Amino acid sequence: MAGRFYRKGLSRRSFMGTTAAGMALAATAAPRSTLAADDTVKIGFLAPLTGEVAAWGAPGLFGCEIWAERVNAAGGIKAGNKTYKVEIVSYDNEYAPDKARAGAQKLINDDGVKFIMMLGGDTMPPVVQVANRAKMLVSTLLPSDLTPDTPYLIAPCEVHPIYNVTGVDWLAANKPELKTAMICAQDDALGRPSVATYLAAFEATGIEVLDDPLFFDISTTDFAPVMTALLAKNPDILCLDTCYSDYVHPLAEQAYLQGYKGQIISCTADFYDQMIEKTSKEFMDGVVFQFPDFDDPALNEPQINFNDPNGFFAEYNKRWPGEWGAVSWEYASIMDLWKAAAERAASVEPMDVLVTMKSGGTGKHAFGEARWWGKELFGIDNALVGDWPVVVIEDGKAVIKEYRSIPAWWDKHKDLMIKHFEAMGEMYYQRA
Amino acid sequence: MTRWLGFAILAVLLIGAPFVLSFSQQEIAVFLVINVLIVCSYRLLTLTGEWSLGHFVIVGVGGYASALLSKPTWLPPETAAALGGGLPVPLAMLAGGCVAALVAFVLSFPLFRLKGFYFLIGSFAAGEVIRLLWKKFRDPFGGPKGLKSVEGFPDIQLGDISLPMWDATNYYYLCLIVVGVSLWILYRIERSRIGLTFHALHWQDKLAESVGVNAWRYRMLAFVIASFFAGIAGALMAHYLGTVNPNMFDVEPMVFVLIWVIVGGTATFYGPILGVVTLTVLNEIVLRELGVADQMRHLIYGLLLILAVLFLPKGLESGVERLRARFRRREEGDNRAAQPDAA
Repeated sequence: MAGRFYRKGLSRRSFMGTTAAGMALAATAAPRSTLAADDTVKIGFLAPLTGEVAAWGAPGLFGCEIWAERVNAAGGIKAGNKTYKVEIVSYDNEYAPDKARAGAQKLINDDGVKFIMMLGGDTMPPVVQVANRAKMLVSTLLPSDLTPDTPYLIAPCEVHPIYNVTGVDWLAANKPELKTAMICAQDDALGRPSVATYLAAFEATGIEVLDDPLFFDISTTDFAPVMTALLAKNPDILCLDTCYSDYVHPLAEQAYLQGYKGQIISCTADFYDQMIEKTSKEFMDGVVFQFPDFDDPALNEPQINFNDPNGFFAEYNKRWPGEWGAVSWEYASIMDLWKAAAERAASVEPMDVLVTMKSGGTGKHAFGEARWWGKELFGIDNALVGDWPVVVIEDGKAVIKEYRSIPAWWDKHKDLMIKHFEAMGEMYYQRA
Repeated sequence: MTRWLGFAILAVLLIGAPFVLSFSQQEIAVFLVINVLIVCSYRLLTLTGEWSLGHFVIVGVGGYASALLSKPTWLPPETAAALGGGLPVPLAMLAGGCVAALVAFVLSFPLFRLKGFYFLIGSFAAGEVIRLLWKKFRDPFGGPKGLKSVEGFPDIQLGDISLPMWDATNYYYLCLIVVGVSLWILYRIERSRIGLTFHALHWQDKLAESVGVNAWRYRMLAFVIASFFAGIAGALMAHYLGTVNPNMFDVEPMVFVLIWVIVGGTATFYGPILGVVTLTVLNEIVLRELGVADQMRHLIYGLLLILAVLFLPKGLESGVERLRARFRRREEGDNRAAQPDAA
């Protein structure tokens, strides 16, 4: 009953409100240092846990805590002739560069972590300075942080926004009658490269983008005019790019209210059950996005490297009902990759793990075998890229329709991607 | 004598602080020192009675200007090479302060046609316009992502010893020197005839004008001086972090500046310093070290703010003043007790 009450109309703000008590418990009641110090490897979690971007940090920490408990319960990490328990040490950087720098110093020098996971974006430049000097392995969810000057920074899970090509590719193959599209996005570090990706993907499939992408300011609260401008062109496909859930929800609501009947494609559809409540099951049916629920049977296929996805999803929802989002599993999947590399390297030292992780040029991504890639787009092969799921809402539930290969798309259409990245000023040599 | 002893103890504490702080606390100390300059420069403006919501954007103007002048990637490569590849960072920082002052000078013309709440709203609007310009023009401002790879402050050579400025301790001392000199200048300004005129404009602006004080010109002067030092603070920040972006200078950090200043108090020079130091230490060191959950940290912080405003409505400085008065009374009482015949 209480769960249902909280789930109704859960915005990012109310989401953070509902998690406040949980966060208190997590941080004060959880056994922070109850493990034997000698046999414990500390992993840093440096992400926004409060503030506007918290929805892409806090759920990831919840997932990591579940991951660590499961690994510890299974005996820990065997690296060489030592067995380590895992302890996740978090620092709320509030998505502010100064706090991210202080957090990096704390995690590296005060806490002695061996690996740091980050969301990335605005908070990355000061952390890179600290991490480069300390030779600390750091992961990001935003590969646009990668440059030739970031040798210890990896994007081993989410190759945002490149995987968005799979959704468009799937749409073109399965709904060839869709010929035109309109794109909107918030004007920021997430929105712009994602727009470049969607433009390339649409061009590759012959779908015409009817007008320039509509960039709105991140302070926008009224989405009616944005949607009116988009729908004025009468597109077959409405592309919501990589908008934050605070934007995706009102945009979808406006599309519904303004009578849109066409196809919607979006990078994320976090808390899509609330979107259905705000619109209708019929309206949301067929929406294409990129982030599955982990109770999907397709995640039990043999190529999937995420350990017990269905059990993880069940445990997550038991602890944090209604809060499953795009990042809930991502940091945990990075930990899977790190654990595998540490065990192969017989060491938890950052450089040993990095070298082992990248050896052979391939790695076990959550969705299957993948390759270390990115030289042409990011100036460095530190992004792990392979297959990515295309997810469609069917009868009110997210369903994986297919895994599609990002490298296969890249090999065919990389010129288009580079063209649009350059036009947006997003190539690594333009990001001075 | 007591005063100089106090300064000596303060100096020892400030110089010795990095030796007792952890690595992350050293980082916090760097930004705390920079924030001290921000609140003190803000106070100079408030002396004239005007409160701005654009001060933190002015901090950003200094940061952007210094970053762009030290690494002029926005110029054609030949031109940049001909100019020697940009200003040295220390000069760029000074120039950043000057650009911030210049922007304030230009803004003075529309803004000081307004007063009180209207000035407050006008300054917010002006700040937003500047932030939108940074977002809009990717060249030279980098758009929404801002500028990355901002030049760091060069290492300082002291004979055979090299002091790398990426190191928090070294940068802390650099900031301490820059901010110390700036505070001394701000203090001297406040104690000068100009400073007294600022006070007069705050409390009796019509009277001041009636005796020939040009209110507009003095308000503009306070705004320009405050902005120069805010710009220096922004430059210190930019060259340490290696990045500046529009989100760093939005209304949220400005609200923090207001909170620091209000909780500390503006009646004395040290009021805002007391506010920023107390609240930063509480929020960033004490509550984090206690392991208080992050959401709870904000909750407790808010609660303490409410308590501070309820019980010390004139700021933390009023508490200090009360303590000093009590100390003085006790001292006088002791003196009287020691000299009964004199009574």
